[in-house]
Amino acid sequence: MDAIEAEGLTKYFGELLAVDHVNFRVKKGEIFGFLGPNGAGKTTTIRMLTTLTRPTEGTARVAGYDVQNEPLRAKQHFGVVPEVSNVYDELSVWNNLMFAGEIYGMSKTDRRLRSDELLSLLALGEHRDKKARHLSKGLKRKLVLGMALVNSPEILFLDEPSSGLDVTSTRLMRDTIRQLAQRGMTVFLTTHNIEEANLLCDRVAIIVKARIVAIDSPENLKMTLDASRSVEIAFKKDPPGLQGWLKGSNRVNAVRKDGDKWKVFTSNPSEFLDSLVDYLGREKANLLSINTLGPSLEDVFVSLVTNAGKGG
Amino acid sequence: MDTASSAIRIRPVRYLAAAWAVARKDMRIYYLRPGNLMFGVLFPVFLFFSFAVGRDLPVEILIPGLTAMAMFFGSSSTGAMAIPTERKTKTYERLLVAPIPPISILLGQTLSGFIFGALFASVPIALGMAWFGMSVASSPVLVLAIALSSFTFSALGIMFAALPTENPGDIMMLLNFVRLPLLFVSGIFISLDDVGDVGLVLAAISPLTYSNDLLRWAVGGTSYFGPAIDVLGIVLFAIVFLALALLLHERARKSDRMAGKRKRAKEAASA
Repeated sequence: MDAIEAEGLTKYFGELLAVDHVNFRVKKGEIFGFLGPNGAGKTTTIRMLTTLTRPTEGTARVAGYDVQNEPLRAKQHFGVVPEVSNVYDELSVWNNLMFAGEIYGMSKTDRRLRSDELLSLLALGEHRDKKARHLSKGLKRKLVLGMALVNSPEILFLDEPSSGLDVTSTRLMRDTIRQLAQRGMTVFLTTHNIEEANLLCDRVAIIVKARIVAIDSPENLKMTLDASRSVEIAFKKDPPGLQGWLKGSNRVNAVRKDGDKWKVFTSNPSEFLDSLVDYLGREKANLLSINTLGPSLEDVFVSLVTNAGKGG
Repeated sequence: MDTASSAIRIRPVRYLAAAWAVARKDMRIYYLRPGNLMFGVLFPVFLFFSFAVGRDLPVEILIPGLTAMAMFFGSSSTGAMAIPTERKTKTYERLLVAPIPPISILLGQTLSGFIFGALFASVPIALGMAWFGMSVASSPVLVLAIALSSFTFSALGIMFAALPTENPGDIMMLLNFVRLPLLFVSGIFISLDDVGDVGLVLAAISPLTYSNDLLRWAVGGTSYFGPAIDVLGIVLFAIVFLALALLLHERARKSDRMAGKRKRAKEAASA
């Protein structure tokens, strides 16, 4: 049994098609990313999976339970970190955690033990008695994560987990998600941050205009874009005629100047490098650095979004 | 890793415990909110005195009327303030994704309004006894009247809070549109003996009538309908309000009107 199964999941808001016959399965212990531009249908999908929005068509099962027919049973097995940090500003960090445990039916002793564990896991101990309204955005995000983990769920849903966070908080959030997955938790996250999907996810579904256009591991998705392989070169001083030579080479698909570097797109980096070595010898150019790069997930994403846009 | 099933008790008792948790949370957060104090405390007190002062009403009429009004406004305002506020801060969704049925959430919010109204009601009763030398004909009936009335009026506020809005002002406005006219047909300012046949029909469809009448019986030992009809009337209104609250909140949730609005706004922003 998979942790999450969606079959033909569709949502209309009046005439507006928000999610269009989406199908996917998330394996137990997997970090699964839902990547797409703003308004693509990511949040609507996560809301359907977490019982907040009723699908117009299709079915979804979470931890083996149909979210429409057995919502209470499904809810016992997941925690949710929504895009907005929905903590109770008037309550302290400790009381927010205790309340979260209380509505999950945990005994007072269990709630206290678990809240202490979470304060330690999320490094919130020194803020224990602070009211949530006095927390920074990053600390509030951590508290929301803590409240979602209070019942030790098997599945964790995160909607744009690092949205609006600074670099340190983002890194801590990602490290925590990885730790949770290592302990066997299934993680389903939506993001419009390609780097986040690339760094965190075992598999990624790319959703554009309400439809899934690709599902695979980040590396496999990158392999689909051979034309985006590139070589990045930098010189102490650009040799005269370099741009003309690059553009004239039949091994080069495109050339772009990125700051002090040249990015050369080629479908055959090794042949290009051979010709570059000859060129450097002839021109006695002083090479500073050279890197061969595969296509990034961003290249794949842009290509898929562009193609979906052309398709209608 | 702990499994969810080991950490969670799945029993109806759990749902009641969750309702109590929701009630205590609302008590901590919303009792002292300015909107709640304004519409739930100051508004009825000033309104009552603007009508009562100078009319030389006996204390057995004055205090039950003030108590009924205090509960009517106080109990119905708490949920009407809390629910749209929590929709706005998205904390309401925290309750909706928890493994508790919708009745637990609504019952918890009703309990919070009930306790607020009951506490507020004790102030005019205590003042009446301490300052005006008011005696109570039946203490058990007084307690019953306060308990039943506070619960029913709280359920009324929860029912109105089903209106899918994130602005408490929208619900307060609609609630006052109903609460204010009911004040004048419920025997608070004009005795039921003087309202005529049409007035009596209108009085019969107001929960405040039975609350005020039962309180008068508890304090002065006389009432228009008698305690049995008053209790029956209040209980019937409580059942109707709670049932309608459950139905309307479920309907609002299933209609996804709020989520649809947000989605359309997002579409417009990204277009």
